[in-house]
Amino acid sequence: MIQRKLILPAALVILLGACASPPKPDSYAALLENPDGSTGRIVVRGSKGEQLIDQARSGAPLDGSQPAAPVSAEKLQRDFGAALAARPPLPERFLLYFDSGGVVLTAESAALLPKIIDSVTRRPGVDVSIIGHTDTLGKAEANAILALKRAQAIADLLKEKGLRAAALSIESHGESNLLVRTPDETPEPRNRRVEISIR
Amino acid sequence: MHLASLLIVLLGLLTSLTARAAGEPIGYVKTASGEAFVVTAQASTPAQPGVPVYLGSRLKTGPQGSIGVTFKDETVVACGPDTELTIDEYLYQPSQGNLALVTNLLRGSLNYVSGVIAKLKPDAVSVKTPTGTIGIRGTHFVARVEPEAKP
Repeated sequence: MIQRKLILPAALVILLGACASPPKPDSYAALLENPDGSTGRIVVRGSKGEQLIDQARSGAPLDGSQPAAPVSAEKLQRDFGAALAARPPLPERFLLYFDSGGVVLTAESAALLPKIIDSVTRRPGVDVSIIGHTDTLGKAEANAILALKRAQAIADLLKEKGLRAAALSIESHGESNLLVRTPDETPEPRNRRVEISIR
Repeated sequence: MHLASLLIVLLGLLTSLTARAAGEPIGYVKTASGEAFVVTAQASTPAQPGVPVYLGSRLKTGPQGSIGVTFKDETVVACGPDTELTIDEYLYQPSQGNLALVTNLLRGSLNYVSGVIAKLKPDAVSVKTPTGTIGIRGTHFVARVEPEAKP
């Protein structure tokens, strides 16, 4: 009888003790609004479960032990203020289009060049990729060469206008990376392009 | 004891001399403050804009440090103080469909804006941590790994 009376309080003490024990290391992930204002999703998978986070400023522990819950702005600022402040400027991407068959820019695209130079100039340690593409008119091998010529022509043009980058890569994707899907041997102005990624 | 540590230093030197950077740069440092380093093949370079980052590189910051890196696929990552992040997988060949980006947050704080790889092949993008893995569906998020409390 005496023993039974003792067991219950002892169990209670252990239970309470477990509840009051200091919180586990505060390791968690939290979702933020995308730079464009939309919100994506992340999934946290740990030894204690899997949690979907699909609300901005909501977070879950990395071990997956608890479902997503709101995280206060103060806590986000305290935990991530320095990381958020260190975020580099978001990359910018430009598309330039060509008249059929050659390396001559359309008038609208030629007008974009000063904006490109400006974007490059504003960035610390900037690196730039210039990738040439063609439509599917003509042989794939010929298009691989034409796409490279387009990328090179744009690189030369930008250098002439004062482009200075820590690193510059010039590539050709030929007709293998269409912006608009078409059958072979199809002229498509939107596929005759050079993509410029400024990072 | 002294001999042992000397040996370790010598071994470290040897490895850094023989190890090669893993191919082409996959990204570049864009921001840095305080103690911030890019460690590639055992060689530690103080971070400053323009320093290249390679597959296998480790981003490392001290108590007052921070670092921001932009990758070729336009993924942007930034680390706060006392952080270690390694780049374990990076594949960016969109026209061949070869895409992967796996980082490992060993400790500290991370801000992540996903890029083209996550857009084209979300399953190929993740952030590992000591207690779990973060899968990404094209988005902006933060993650924090606090070191285990010392007994």
